Amino acid sequence: MKGYLGEFEELVLLTVASLGEDAYGVSIKGDIEQRADRSISIGALHSTISRLEEKGYLKSWLGDPTQERGGRRKRFFEVTHDGKVALHEVKTLRDELWNISKANLDLAK
Amino acid sequence: MKSASHPPPLVEKVFLWYCERAMIEDLHGDLDEIFYDNLKRMSLARAKWHYCRDAVSLMLSYSVKKRKSNAAYHPYSQNNSMAMLQNYFKIAVRTLSKQKFFTSINVLGLSIGMSICLLLVAMLSYIFRYDNFHKNGGSIYRVISSTDDSQRNLEHASSPAPIGDLLKHDLAGIGEVVRINKTFAGDATVDNKTIPLSGYFADPSFLQVFTFPLLKGNAQSCLSEMNSVILTESAAIKMFGDKDPIGESITIGEFGQFEVTAILKDHPKNSHLYFEMVAPYESLLAYQRVHPPSEIWKEFRNNYNYFICEDETRLENINGYLSSLANKHYKDRKTFTASFQVQALHNIVPGNDLVNSIGPEWDYSSFAIFGILTLMILLPACFNYASISMSRALKRSKEIGLRKVVGGMRGQIFMQFIVETVVVSLLSLGGAFLIFVLIKGEFISMLANADGISLEPDFITGLCFVVFAIVVGFAAGIVPAVYFSKINPVNAFKSNLPFKALSGTRLRKILIVSQFAISLGFIMSVVIVLNQYRASLNHNFGFNQSNIIDVELKDVDPQIFKNEFSRLSSIESVSMSSGILGTAATANEWVRRDASDSVEVSSMSVDQYFIQNMELSLLAGKTFADAESVQEQNVIVNEEFLKTFRIADPSAAPGVTFTGVDGKEKKIIGVLKNFHYASLRESIGSFYFQYDPTLFQYANLKVSSTDITASFDEMQAIWNTFKTEEKFMARFFDDELADAYSFYFSMIKICGFLGLLAISISCLGLLGMVVYTVETRTKEVGVRKVMGATDGEVLYLLSKGFMKLMLVASIIAIPITYLIFDKVLLGLQTAYPIRVGIVEIVISLIVMVVLGGVTVLSQTIRAARSKPVDTLRYE
Repeated sequence: MKGYLGEFEELVLLTVASLGEDAYGVSIKGDIEQRADRSISIGALHSTISRLEEKGYLKSWLGDPTQERGGRRKRFFEVTHDGKVALHEVKTLRDELWNISKANLDLAK
Repeated sequence: MKSASHPPPLVEKVFLWYCERAMIEDLHGDLDEIFYDNLKRMSLARAKWHYCRDAVSLMLSYSVKKRKSNAAYHPYSQNNSMAMLQNYFKIAVRTLSKQKFFTSINVLGLSIGMSICLLLVAMLSYIFRYDNFHKNGGSIYRVISSTDDSQRNLEHASSPAPIGDLLKHDLAGIGEVVRINKTFAGDATVDNKTIPLSGYFADPSFLQVFTFPLLKGNAQSCLSEMNSVILTESAAIKMFGDKDPIGESITIGEFGQFEVTAILKDHPKNSHLYFEMVAPYESLLAYQRVHPPSEIWKEFRNNYNYFICEDETRLENINGYLSSLANKHYKDRKTFTASFQVQALHNIVPGNDLVNSIGPEWDYSSFAIFGILTLMILLPACFNYASISMSRALKRSKEIGLRKVVGGMRGQIFMQFIVETVVVSLLSLGGAFLIFVLIKGEFISMLANADGISLEPDFITGLCFVVFAIVVGFAAGIVPAVYFSKINPVNAFKSNLPFKALSGTRLRKILIVSQFAISLGFIMSVVIVLNQYRASLNHNFGFNQSNIIDVELKDVDPQIFKNEFSRLSSIESVSMSSGILGTAATANEWVRRDASDSVEVSSMSVDQYFIQNMELSLLAGKTFADAESVQEQNVIVNEEFLKTFRIADPSAAPGVTFTGVDGKEKKIIGVLKNFHYASLRESIGSFYFQYDPTLFQYANLKVSSTDITASFDEMQAIWNTFKTEEKFMARFFDDELADAYSFYFSMIKICGFLGLLAISISCLGLLGMVVYTVETRTKEVGVRKVMGATDGEVLYLLSKGFMKLMLVASIIAIPITYLIFDKVLLGLQTAYPIRVGIVEIVISLIVMVVLGGVTVLSQTIRAARSKPVDTLRYE
């Protein structure tokens, strides 16, 4: 496994994947805030994105200038193949653990 | 409201400034987008606040940090600073060796400027290593006290004696405590040998607290016996020679017999404790120097309490305890308060200026004064460097332009010039060191605490020198470096430099003027002080100074001396006195008349022939001439004395009585005309002569002989017949007087030396500027000569600007120096200042103009005489 994937990193990667073509700073932030019902700072988000780029899980490119951003370009993100592998590994690990501990995790009990 | 709903511009600016050249377009866009989103949901103020918060979070984020570091390196620049430094160094050496003339001016100037600073650096590096040899150094403290008796506020290095004991007994967790008393001084006698020694009384823990290694003896027990004494190695050799001193007994002044129990290695020079011998504190107690319990807390002088405290947190406790002590003992005194503080060993030297210090003291204020003086020399030298190298701008701008075009960045050009200056300053360090070695001895001899310092350069001092040279290099090079690194390559190549006007011509003029002003100030100081010295010697003291020889009596009985010496034919008369008039050797006393407040007066004991011998003039009454007047209570006063006691008529004075502090009554029998009994530093005060043969220390011989050496030989012969081991010490009275004013000489020496340095630096700076000007105007001179200008006209044209500068300098310097000396300095040194006259000013001015003129003319004459054919071919 190539590096450790933190909880927030996993969240960001999955969100980027879920947003598809439209994954850039503000949209990722909005999506996470809405779905996870937690407030995140733009600085923390970009820090995480930079680290994920360093690890090779994300790649980015600049889009076209847009009016509402004062003519500035957006930077779009996409999950790389390595990123996908890492997400799968995390999921496999989780699934295994869930299978083993299912009986003990029953909420009804 | 559309116009107002923008992100806060200031925050935006800060954000962009912080990100420097990093690629943050997308982040910036994100910020804006969030802001406009927020505007739809909340108030403008809140949105701005959120924007601000987001911007800060981004600035602190890893993302911006990483993008900044990615952008930090220019594509051309490699991250290999060592290679670049090597290259800078190489370029510097090449440039410097190409311009040999300017390099040597610069090196010479900086050497002179740095030489005196090296003294300061060496001193500081030594002083800051004071007391570094104690093993417990970090945990040794002493108790210091400050007192306020409503007249004076004093900070003592000492503290009352009982504190040491109380600390030891009342405080848990405190380490060894040692009390030291510095009154242990006197003539030490072994067999027939007598040598004055001084040292301390100290508790046996002295050797545990401080690290002074023993050569012989037992460190545990050497101070435990009552009358034991430890000597330092050199004191032991002085007293006992090669003999083993252990177990020998030695008599020390009034304190009696001591037995030598141990020999200490001589303590290093950098010790704030300074002693030749140490005796147990108990022997001091036995000698009964102890004050009664009511007085003991009032005695602040000469007693020191040191202690060890390993745990710094306990100091708070100790401080609290000390202030409770102060409260307890000084609470009921309305006019007197005292408090105690704890001072760490490393704060003693160098430290604040405390009275009654235990050994050599080096306080901050004297260093500050010295520092300012050195800066007054160093700064002009640095200015010179800056000014000379900036005047080379025309020649170097093309080089810099080319460097920039091939990708040299501003920071690199900057570094190149800094390295060049550092190379120059390191070269100058060599020259400065030579001067330093030359003046070191003289400098130390002028210091008050010459014993406590050594300026022998060692490794650390050398390191300090190099660091200092590098710092000087930075300081001198920063202005030219900034200036050159700013040059725009396009302008540099066009050669019609728009910054030509800017190339600091005005700044350099100001520099030249201020340098010459400083130099003129120093020259004037020398002339003025010399004049004052001469005037002090020729001052009318009001008594006879010629043909008087003063002989120190030492242990010879005055009566025997007189009988023997009167027989010599060359001696007219012999008188006795307790001091020498006109120097500072008088005793001070407090006297009062009736119930009035007591007044401080000076006095001297003389015999009946003294007044006649000194040719003092009597206004009223009589001298000690007859047997009746030669009584101890009879005194002869001066006019000033009468004024103090409000007796208008001198003839009314004889018979008036007054009382001294000891309660003895004194009767005036005569009044003398005012004369200078003390040095001219003080004005004439109240003074009286009394007759007390026990106080006589000098014989004053009035000689009539013309063959002085022969009479000296005769006197020596008579002296040898006396039963004394002391040497015959005789001096002419006027020599003694001249000696008393020798402090003027050190002032002259200091001012003269500084003046020499200042004027050489100024002349070098001027030389640099003249050479540059002459060089750039070579063609102009050629054209002028072809058109018919004479040598003289050209000379005038080239020199007049510089002469004008010197004129301005003197207009600034003369009034300032005049005021400083006339109003302040001389008033401090003497009560009878000579007014600064026009002659002194003119002399100083001539000296400066001649030196400056020679500098300027040496270059301009050559230019003026040159043949136009050669000059027009120039370039």
